[in-house]
Amino acid sequence: MAILNGCEFPDDRAYFIERTQMTWVRVEGDRLTVGLTDPAQTRAGKVLHVRIKAAGTSRERGKPIATVESGKWAGPVMAPVTGTVVESNAEVEKDPSLLNTDPYGRGWIVVMTATNPVEVTTLLRGEAALAKFKEILERDHIRCMRCQG
Amino acid sequence: MSDTTAPSDPEGKKILLVMTTGPEDPDKTYAPFYTAALMAAMEIDTTMYFLMHGPELLRKGAAEKVPLKKGGNLKQFVDMALENGVKFLACAESCRDLCEIPADEMIDGVKLVGSATLADLALDADSVISF
Repeated sequence: MAILNGCEFPDDRAYFIERTQMTWVRVEGDRLTVGLTDPAQTRAGKVLHVRIKAAGTSRERGKPIATVESGKWAGPVMAPVTGTVVESNAEVEKDPSLLNTDPYGRGWIVVMTATNPVEVTTLLRGEAALAKFKEILERDHIRCMRCQG
Repeated sequence: MSDTTAPSDPEGKKILLVMTTGPEDPDKTYAPFYTAALMAAMEIDTTMYFLMHGPELLRKGAAEKVPLKKGGNLKQFVDMALENGVKFLACAESCRDLCEIPADEMIDGVKLVGSATLADLALDADSVISF
């Protein structure tokens, strides 16, 4: 687990970092679990509502698989690769604060499959991901904190 | 596997938000920009049309001077709407005759259009919301 500015970045994830997007991806065979990173949930603030695309929805890379709103931020969660949503997290829709309190665990958003598995290799990992995060955290003055409850 | 989709998928629909309020009533400025940003994030084709005092909010440096009760100012919500892809159109007549804003004093991302455009937009939209 790497920590930058108080933000946690688990070593076992790949990351999709583009424009305002900072999502994590856990690759398990052909299943890609996607969620918000620590800095993404911090920037959003306490999430009040989340709407997640249903299983069966096909998405192009960079198109929304969910929308998140907190009162101070409203924005999309974009698909890190082109593919199909195979599972969405109903628990998070009922309790969006899980995105803040457990972003890498119970706060996962969707599981998807990639149309082109090669695209998964374009996600950032390890030092490359951390270097990019460091740049964003410093540029946007983000210091992570976890909302409780 | 659970189906958690919204009752109807709004993606691809068109919404027009008509903004007549300017900085004279700060409490009425936050919700239109926030709502527009959210709609755009939902892949709704979202346009804000500013007329009467609305264009005043798009003058360079103006949004920063609109305080919000929740703290901060309007600027971050104007930026968020633009970042999410909301289209900003301002009534050229309102800008010229009422607000007296030269085109070069508008923030980046605003297109000046004539009044007839409002008719086109309203007739073309799936829904029109006025603030």
